[in-house]
Amino acid sequence: MFKKTPVAAGIAALASMMIVGGVAVADADNAHYYTEMTPHELADYLIFEADGFFLDQEVQEGGTTHQRMVQDDMHKACSVIGGGDPDQETLQAVREAAAESIVYPEGGIQLGDWERGRELAWSGFGYRVGHRTDDHSARPVGGNCYNCHQMATDRTGGNVGPSLTAYGKTRGTSEAILKYAYDMIYNPHVYFPCTNMPRFGSSGFLDEQAMADIMAYMFDPESPVNE
Amino acid sequence: MFKKALLALPVALAVGATAHAQTPPEDVLQGLIDQIDSTYLTQSEMNIMMMPDNPALWTGMDGEDLFHTPRGPNNVSMEACDFGKGPGVLEGAYVELPRYFEDTNRVMDLENRIVHCMTEVQGFDPDDPAVTRRHGSGSDHMQIQTYIAMQSSGMEWNNPLDHPLEKAMRDAGEGMFYRRSGIADFNCHTCHGQTDKRIRASVLPNKDVGEEWTKAISWPAFRVGHDNVRSTQHRIRGCYWQMRMPRINPDGDASIALMSYWTDAARGQPAILPDMKR
Ligand code: HEC
Ligand code: HEC
Repeated sequence: MFKKTPVAAGIAALASMMIVGGVAVADADNAHYYTEMTPHELADYLIFEADGFFLDQEVQEGGTTHQRMVQDDMHKACSVIGGGDPDQETLQAVREAAAESIVYPEGGIQLGDWERGRELAWSGFGYRVGHRTDDHSARPVGGNCYNCHQMATDRTGGNVGPSLTAYGKTRGTSEAILKYAYDMIYNPHVYFPCTNMPRFGSSGFLDEQAMADIMAYMFDPESPVNE
Repeated sequence: MFKKALLALPVALAVGATAHAQTPPEDVLQGLIDQIDSTYLTQSEMNIMMMPDNPALWTGMDGEDLFHTPRGPNNVSMEACDFGKGPGVLEGAYVELPRYFEDTNRVMDLENRIVHCMTEVQGFDPDDPAVTRRHGSGSDHMQIQTYIAMQSSGMEWNNPLDHPLEKAMRDAGEGMFYRRSGIADFNCHTCHGQTDKRIRASVLPNKDVGEEWTKAISWPAFRVGHDNVRSTQHRIRGCYWQMRMPRINPDGDASIALMSYWTDAARGQPAILPDMKR
């Protein structure tokens, strides 16, 4: 509380003035304070203090929607206005933090069931909240891979990420390539700091089984990815 | 009240409007397609073909009735309401929203301004379904929004940034656009910062290409997949939902800030109103 900078403290003070019964009041004072904040402060203020989002809904991982708007160090480092990359030093810090985050399965990296992996790679179900909330007891969480990648050619994939067609066939299944793919799914910032690809392992989005199944879909010679 | 049969004309836009500066949305889109090579603009041939018969035109017709009929406890029509260019002036009003309104001392988008008009001018209770039902072609909101927005078809997006609050909201919106958070690490730039990118089969509009971005933000639009006319606020809600972030409050300033920024990003480009989307 006492470590706040004068600016942050000022915002906290005016925040309590402006919120009446949980509802942001649009009045003369409010307007005055908006223009005194930096754009970054105002964005955070609108999100967290001014009723910009419904922040107290329960989320699937436990806790509330509030935590989905709180930025961690990677989020902050990689939120560059205009969309470029941060400086080299910051990128290196992101890379190092990613390396530290990766946890390997106890028995080593395994390939699971490619047929289940096929469905998970296609599915975009999971972790959505708000006016419609995904019920994880009804369906498993999907990996959204096809949203961004072409994988097998029997379904249309996106191109936000590179094509993964024939991935196992062209790269083989050496320990090194399996580790690379595992790392990419677990926390891709280790190779591509500030990448657009989500951190499916370190965020808890996909569990160990789902990752093993999706990797089987990428590497199993029987999988349509490698036809 | 007009009967729809009387209005079954291809010149839907001209009906009821005193001025004729609007350009039919299909012509606006064609103009953009002629200007740049864009897979986003041309991705749905079917929608381009159907635009002259866009069901949103009917929604706008219903909105015309609602707008000009005295309603609410005060029994006044919305002609008494100011959407930024003076009471009852609709031509070009929508492309200049969000903007600062002195009577509320707040930057407001179309949806919030309609709420203000319904409650303060027409006297509706804030809990009245006319005020609270925001979505679906059958809602008063979608009908009135579509009618008002249509009066800006073909005009250039030009939300004012002269007032310090307008500038502050636009800049905060920019911060939101690039702000990563949540379990999937997304921000808007993840999917709208490059040209010719697709999520599965959907071609994504690039925020930095004005000719694409004007179509992206041209709402109300009939969403074929939803079989309903949808609003800007509905689009923004969907964006945050797919990003795995919390539901955004349509009455809060966060949604209006984002809108101030995304409209500024399309400045100078002609609006396609109403549009048709997948
Ligand atoms: C939101 C987009 C997005 C999603 C969803 C996504 N990826 Fe990626 N992926 C990328 C991008 C972008 C890259 C390229 C890395 C970079 O340049 O930042 C990439 C790279 C990769 C690579 C490295 C490719 C190579 O040639 O070395 C692998 C492997 C990969 N992704 C697997 C997956 C899997 C498996 C899933 C689903 C569980 C997935 N991705 C989901 C965007 C995505
Ligand atoms: C993971 C990818 C992704 C992210 C992140 C994302 N969008 Fe989108 N956006 C899409 C897709 C896909 C569509 C196409 C329509 C659909 O299917 O929902 C779309 C459509 C849109 C449209 C309408 C364009 C059209 O043709 O329908 C706008 C405007 C838009 N997004 C803005 C945003 C904003 C603002 C944000 C951040 C708050 C955002 N998007 C975040 C993928 C994304």
